Amino acid sequence: MNFHDFFIQPFSYEFMRRGLLSVVLLSLSGGLLGCILVLRRLALMGDALSHSLLPGIGLAWLVFGPSTPALFAGALAAGLMTALGSALLSRLTRVKEDAAFGSLFIVFFAAGVALISKLPTRLNLSHFLFGNVLGVADTDLALAAGVSAATVLIFVVFFRGILLESFDPTFHRATGGPGGVVHMGFLALTVLNLVASLQTMGIVLSLGLFLLPAVSAYLWCDHFGRMLLLSVGIAMVCSVAGVLLSYHAGLASGASIVLCLGAVFFGSALLSPRYGLVSRLR
Amino acid sequence: MPASHNILRFLNVTVRYGRTPALEAITADIPCGSSTAIMGPNGAGKSTLLRAILGWHALATGEIRLGDAHPQHLLPRLAYLPQRHTIDWDFPITVRGVVEQGRYPSLKIFRRPSPHDHALVDRALDELGLTELADRQIRMLSGGQQQRVFLARALAQGADIFLLDEPFAGLDLFATEELTHILRAWAAQGRTVLAAVHDLELARHNFTHGVLLNTTLTAAGPIAAVLTPDNIDRAFRHGHCVHDDPLRPARSTEFPR
Repeated sequence: MNFHDFFIQPFSYEFMRRGLLSVVLLSLSGGLLGCILVLRRLALMGDALSHSLLPGIGLAWLVFGPSTPALFAGALAAGLMTALGSALLSRLTRVKEDAAFGSLFIVFFAAGVALISKLPTRLNLSHFLFGNVLGVADTDLALAAGVSAATVLIFVVFFRGILLESFDPTFHRATGGPGGVVHMGFLALTVLNLVASLQTMGIVLSLGLFLLPAVSAYLWCDHFGRMLLLSVGIAMVCSVAGVLLSYHAGLASGASIVLCLGAVFFGSALLSPRYGLVSRLR
Repeated sequence: MPASHNILRFLNVTVRYGRTPALEAITADIPCGSSTAIMGPNGAGKSTLLRAILGWHALATGEIRLGDAHPQHLLPRLAYLPQRHTIDWDFPITVRGVVEQGRYPSLKIFRRPSPHDHALVDRALDELGLTELADRQIRMLSGGQQQRVFLARALAQGADIFLLDEPFAGLDLFATEELTHILRAWAAQGRTVLAAVHDLELARHNFTHGVLLNTTLTAAGPIAAVLTPDNIDRAFRHGHCVHDDPLRPARSTEFPR
């Protein structure tokens, strides 16, 4: 197989070009968001949050059909209910925060699974959970582009605020920074990105697209800005590699992307000269 | 040094968490250019007092004045140093990166740091002896050096009133010595330092003034006048931990006769 057959020929199909463009756009915002999730130790919470969006999405689909604003509103409502519900549970009962979150999200997830089994569409559960890069429609692509552009713009404009809120929220608030706004904005942005990647990666696998590039970059960088750039770079390269892998090997698209990202992560964890396994061997 | 001018004044300050009072009717003056230790048992309201200055707690009664103004209007003059354990030392940031954060509050969105900002950062690094370490990741420092990074950030901010929350917690003997030297030099330069301090002997020897409290104010003023055995006994008598009082470790334990 020559270069043309490997890299160019797959993208002679329009659905391949659309799929590729949509994952690359989502890598841009996902790579940025993932860094904040990792640095603020919200990785597991993000995972739980993504699962808990399912009933909101299912319900919105049931009532309004596949309308993007409705899906987003439903997802946001479900996400907020999980976050608030677990905060209330942990405060008002003996249950600790992590257990409350874990219990609540799995109940929400089950409700979502039940709802979607009742949906009057040909889409099945695995579509919502794992997405399909090759089924990206124009509206999905437009949503991915919009969300990605908004995320990048927010990161550029509020870079310092985001850095302070991630590193030292007390200092941020002590100097008059709008800590609460940054925090809530970040949660909303995460939900927005999860919804935007629903079609492409599904709610379960999209978190891999956010987290894995960020943890990989975390193993290499000592500068916040460079970590963001490297994370975005890794996400983009692995998205392209994943789409090619899925095409040539006939694998599920979202899973191929996450597997490529996983390879980079394990490579980094092993080989990073300062923070990887090899640094312990010397 | 004449300490006639009071830079910070607490007038009948009460802060409540729900129904529980954290601070009750605190009235105290902090002289300009003093180094004041805020002391008391665990849960006495030391951190609450510091955060109330920053406007984080709504005051149930009273007011806090900075010079003639409310502190919220003069946030750039105030520098708050967080407790060490709240910082993630693995964060991908260098010493210089942290000190540069001191300039962020005064930078407009889109405005890049000016040569003046860089000069302030360089000067702060230099004053705390961190120039050589500027490109190190913050984990690669000793405890005392880490504390100095945050002091440098406060300097770069251009503040002249420093609020330190338990700055000595987790520091070894050498680093503690180093920090007390820096704080004394600052007070000598007319900077005002307010620190929540656990160790009464450390406070007695290194601070000019003290505020001793246990929800209510026990005493405030020059450190020697505050730390009398009688005052200490009153503040700590019903403390949550007998070992908070290093002078009389077993005094509050009563044995049946």
